[in-house]
Amino acid sequence: MLCTVLAAAGCGSKSGGGQAEIRFIWWGNDDRAKVTNEAVKLFESRNPDIKVSTSFQNFQNYFEKLSTEIAGGNAPDVIQMDYRYLNEYAGRNVLLDLTPYVGKEIRTADWNQGFIGSGKLNGKQVAMPLAQNATTIVYDPKLFTAAGVPEPTIGWTWADYKQIAGKIQASTGGKIAGSTDFGGTEDVFETWLRQRGKALYQDGKLGYTKDDLKAFWQLSKDFRDAQATTPAELVTTLNAGAEQTPMGKKLSASEHSYDSLYGGYNTVRPDELKLGPYPSDSKEALGSYRKPSQLISASARTKNKDAAVKLIDFLLNDQEAGKILGANRGLPANLKIREAVAQNLSGANKVIFEYQKSVDAKLGDAPAAPPKGDGTIYKLMQRKHEEVVFGKKTIDQALDEFWRDAEEALK
Amino acid sequence: MALAQRRSQGVAYLFLGPWLLGAIGLTVAPMVVSLYLSFTDYDLFNEPRWVGVDNYAKLFGDDPRYLHSVGVTLRYVAWSVPLKLVLALAVALLLNSLRGKGQAFFRSAFYAPSLLGASVGLALAWRAIFDTWVDTPDHALVTIVLLSAWQFGAPMVIFLAGLQQIPRDLFDAAAVDGAGWWRRLWSITLPMLSPVLFFNLVLETIHAFQAFTQAFVVSGGRGGPADSTLFYTLYLYERGFTEFRMGYASAMAWVLLVAIALITAVLFRTSRYWVFYGDER
Repeated sequence: MLCTVLAAAGCGSKSGGGQAEIRFIWWGNDDRAKVTNEAVKLFESRNPDIKVSTSFQNFQNYFEKLSTEIAGGNAPDVIQMDYRYLNEYAGRNVLLDLTPYVGKEIRTADWNQGFIGSGKLNGKQVAMPLAQNATTIVYDPKLFTAAGVPEPTIGWTWADYKQIAGKIQASTGGKIAGSTDFGGTEDVFETWLRQRGKALYQDGKLGYTKDDLKAFWQLSKDFRDAQATTPAELVTTLNAGAEQTPMGKKLSASEHSYDSLYGGYNTVRPDELKLGPYPSDSKEALGSYRKPSQLISASARTKNKDAAVKLIDFLLNDQEAGKILGANRGLPANLKIREAVAQNLSGANKVIFEYQKSVDAKLGDAPAAPPKGDGTIYKLMQRKHEEVVFGKKTIDQALDEFWRDAEEALK
Repeated sequence: MALAQRRSQGVAYLFLGPWLLGAIGLTVAPMVVSLYLSFTDYDLFNEPRWVGVDNYAKLFGDDPRYLHSVGVTLRYVAWSVPLKLVLALAVALLLNSLRGKGQAFFRSAFYAPSLLGASVGLALAWRAIFDTWVDTPDHALVTIVLLSAWQFGAPMVIFLAGLQQIPRDLFDAAAVDGAGWWRRLWSITLPMLSPVLFFNLVLETIHAFQAFTQAFVVSGGRGGPADSTLFYTLYLYERGFTEFRMGYASAMAWVLLVAIALITAVLFRTSRYWVFYGDER
């Protein structure tokens, strides 16, 4: 606490006059760092009175570092934010209310107005969506061809997926799994739930029943029983960056993911992979939605509000910044910039844009941001599923424990 | 006389000053604050709210994962400490029998892994070496025990210093009486070394209870797979910094502190039965 006081005193001495210094942090990998730093440099050259220092982490460590920094009174000024953590932070009043700036300093004329709402909580604009992404199956088309099975298209079902993945796995003699085990990943579960007309959360409570999760875990078990998915030891590698996943390590032929992560996959497996739609047992619903892949917020305690807001607007709405950033974080939120980027596509950006175009008609609107405690439940699902996969618990045991801890986390 | 004494005390405090400031500002004050926080609901960002002993009650009454982390930690301590001490002693005995330049070289060589200590890089290398082991629940803890045992350098150097303090004539006399290597080890080396052994045991036990970095890196910060490496400190960190329950985490920290103090006290009690200081009858 003494440290907090000291740090606050240290920060307090610097205000007004001359150069403004702000700190901007995000999660991502090297390819994202390259374009982000380039955009920030452009911002600095346009605003010589503002100095921006940047740093980044992988997703796994990002929020641990962020919470420690904020608690220590050393909050960054501009913060890349995740949909899942929005309530966690905004609900604790650490994010600046951007409402007075929206439509003014932060331009929104060229935006899909509905999408702006994904950064709103209780009527306050606590974040602005940076870009749009959607869930996808990333796959290795060569392995599909070699096994003589069709590539993912809209209309394929979970049963199709299991059969196809099984054939691929058999065709490689079991060396490469047909799919990456999806049972512990809340994002997949959410997509699957939405295909059934349900949602992860309803009014701040779990939006599904025990039977739903049981059926989902059973589906994942069916894949394992059919020799159509990754072995247990690989389940634990899923929360690392794209390059660490079974797909990135060439140990799986298809993997659940987000299209905005394609850049990461593409650095380790250049031009080898494609993006396809999720399998679904419903003709109408694909389950994927226009998700804010990342949002951007300012700290409520920033000493340089104007500079922070200026940087946010620049990253969201500047044409040249948009060109530099491309689709690295997903489809740009500003529709004019999205169009401009679409004119001149190559490499990873092209794959991402084409995928979103192919599923656009099927994409739903984003649900309300998950409640506080979702970050905990996300990990809980992974852990309980791990215990099932390693044979430490039966599905029913894991389910009971999951339920108890999940309800506790939402309290 | 009184003045001179007071003056010399003043000087003593002057010299103590820098340490005292650090100890109070960086250790005592945060500890007192954390004791207070352990009786509150505190989410890092908003004012702490007093909840009495709720956190402590929940630890023991309503948190199976907490008890699991205690089990993992006890298992780790029970395996890693004896293994490390035996290794350290064995290598120290070996080095002690070498004389001259060779000893200096090997002493440094065996000490090297400990210099790397709790380094993240080393744990990452370990992760890469035991790739599939760390990804299965039954073996993950073993790899961390091995990593810790491998870093036996610090107790080894202390053992070596202790061994060199044992008077040669004791061994010579025993050899004349026909005592073999084992007999000398058991009846001379170990009793003469017992204060050093005790020191190492206490130190390593305390360290082992607080192990964090290796488990954090090897398990990717999650204590996985399937909670098999969920060390006490790791769970504390998760509760405090990823779930924003700093009051709860503070309670955990205090329980750990008290537990370590108790265990150390027990070790000291038993020491009178097996530690030989050479000046007693």
